[in-house]
Amino acid sequence: MAIRVGIPRGLLFYRFYVLWKTFLEELGLEVVVSPPTNKLVVQRGLTYGVEEICFPVKVFLGHVLAIKDRVDFLFVPRMVSFYRGEYNCPKILGLPDLVRNLFGIQPERLVDGEINMRDAGIRGWRKGFLELGKTWERSERKILRALERAEKAHLFYRRELKKGFLPENFIDQKPPSLLEEKKVLLLGHTYLTGDSYINMGIVQKINALGYGVITQDMVDEGKVRKYLRLVQKPSFWTISNEIVGAALLYLKEKDPAVKGYIHLVSFECGPDSLVGELIERWIKREEKTIPYLRLEIDEHTGEAGLVTRLEAFVDMMEWRQNHHESNLSASFTS
Amino acid sequence: MKATFPHLLHLDVALGILYPLLGIEIVPPPPLTQKTIEIGVKLAPQNACFPLKVTLGNFIESIEKGADTLFMAGGVGPCRFGYYGQIQRLILEDLGYKVQFVLIDHPRYGVKPFLEALRTMAGGRIASLRVARVAALAWKILRFTEDLETQRRALRCQVEKKELLDRVIDGAIERLRRVESVDDFQIVKRETEEALACLPLRRVNSELIKVGIVGEVYVAQETQINFNVEKILGDLGVYVHNSVSTVEYVLHTLPLTRSREKLEAWEMARPYLRRFVGGEGIDSVGSTVRYARKGFDGVVHLYPFTCMPEIVAKGILNKVSKDYDLPILHLAIDEHSGEAGLVTRVEAFVDVLERRKKARKISEVGDTWISS
Repeated sequence: MAIRVGIPRGLLFYRFYVLWKTFLEELGLEVVVSPPTNKLVVQRGLTYGVEEICFPVKVFLGHVLAIKDRVDFLFVPRMVSFYRGEYNCPKILGLPDLVRNLFGIQPERLVDGEINMRDAGIRGWRKGFLELGKTWERSERKILRALERAEKAHLFYRRELKKGFLPENFIDQKPPSLLEEKKVLLLGHTYLTGDSYINMGIVQKINALGYGVITQDMVDEGKVRKYLRLVQKPSFWTISNEIVGAALLYLKEKDPAVKGYIHLVSFECGPDSLVGELIERWIKREEKTIPYLRLEIDEHTGEAGLVTRLEAFVDMMEWRQNHHESNLSASFTS
Repeated sequence: MKATFPHLLHLDVALGILYPLLGIEIVPPPPLTQKTIEIGVKLAPQNACFPLKVTLGNFIESIEKGADTLFMAGGVGPCRFGYYGQIQRLILEDLGYKVQFVLIDHPRYGVKPFLEALRTMAGGRIASLRVARVAALAWKILRFTEDLETQRRALRCQVEKKELLDRVIDGAIERLRRVESVDDFQIVKRETEEALACLPLRRVNSELIKVGIVGEVYVAQETQINFNVEKILGDLGVYVHNSVSTVEYVLHTLPLTRSREKLEAWEMARPYLRRFVGGEGIDSVGSTVRYARKGFDGVVHLYPFTCMPEIVAKGILNKVSKDYDLPILHLAIDEHSGEAGLVTRVEAFVDVLERRKKARKISEVGDTWISS
């Protein structure tokens, strides 16, 4: 029987799922992914996690609980950095330690090799995957070949996202719904925008109100990085930087189809608390501004409140459209 | 140029000596009060961590007093502190303040801006004998203020008259503000040490309860922000030690100047937290283990609400607490923290520690009685 390796469906899963899965399968392992987020997963995460940690980490811990006893190994790589000179958030840096200490998982069952491109660049990436692969495979050549195939699959996945797929659509083969005429830019970490249970189906809700959705994953990375350079000192968090870059891109290039920004943040999110402020202030400084809504979600968020806010926001966008006003206040936050 | 800088316990004493001697005119930051906090909270992003709000309030109060240049440190992450300056600059710009923000950032964001900021902060030239001499004096003063606070924490539970202790230490700190040369400083130092040595001590019957403080560098130190937890503990008769210090914070950025305690703590944290997670996350875990091994009775963990590294540390400290049978009190501080609630929690915590100590003593006595 093949060795079973479990990947919890949370946090960076939405970005690296294809890469991790291909990599592990190329090494001859069986990949088990925890089921899509549901009430039980969330409740377990809330009960056994740390009280004050942000909602997505609690959900991640719920996913760990959901599969930890069904697999031989738990795959929680320490993604310190996947962009040169930048970091991920401290909670992602400490994630394997949290999992190990909270649930008492034996260290040899937890695969937590460190992937750190901050100083070493691509060498750090390779080194990390070699360390991960060595858990099961002795030959470095085989690991690197698996990595090469995984990278190819990853690039394909990222390209598919650019076509307007959401991670969920791609992973579960659900077709995306595309509305081209009127769109909103949905900013936020992919583990929020991509998990329709914890964001309460926000994409579908926006679609139902007649708007298409662009996320920062659908925007060309080169352009995102180019516009990020407008900021005097970009932050040191990769995903937050991508959010800023995408926001500035649409702020400066002025795509007429994009009618508003929705920034989805989890209540406790550290990086987004600062980066959100940055985006908001940049928007306010523009002459012709664009409506901006910051939606904070956590375990206490009610669906009705979310719907009301979205509807009010859509009303505002429509009203603005009809009145061609440009000197209105730019944003309201919740 | 009229420069100012944020508060951090007695940092303003040392910097208040440093800059005038370097020929830089300064506006000393007004004392931290409830008003400072209110200003910061009103203007800063709602979910930003507390030190950002307080230092922003600081800056605005100083600007109102006439400062036009702000000195601030940057960082490389992943803790939010490294991005404070950028956000504060945006906020001050939008408010219409015409101030110059001198941000000293890591050289990896450009060696030239780093040197320029350093030059501005050193009043023109970096590599001169005078700068080195003045900096050494300021450093000594900073060290000494921290030593004084360490003494205060240790002695509060032991002296007969607590007011006398406060008077000696606060008086010394006020005198330090007026120091002009190394000789002045030596006099203040010697006299304060003598005064502290002759403070009459209380006779203590039982062994003292010892509590260590770990946490985030700003909140764990700044007594104006953390409701002076050290004093509450000391008044309850607890011997307090604080693992956090500004001197350490500066020294630990360079590999060769790290203190033995720091390296020891990092080593002890390894079984629990295998790498640096930003801020003082690993220090909090390591220092807690260190306190446990040194026989402390409990640990107070102080951090700003939503602080990322400290929340990681908090999750891991639960395990440390179980492994070493060490009670830990987690205190998240922000603008909504109330003093009464905090005092009650600290008192309850000390009660727990007292009972545990008594119970342990009884069981020890019991053991010896049985075995004899």
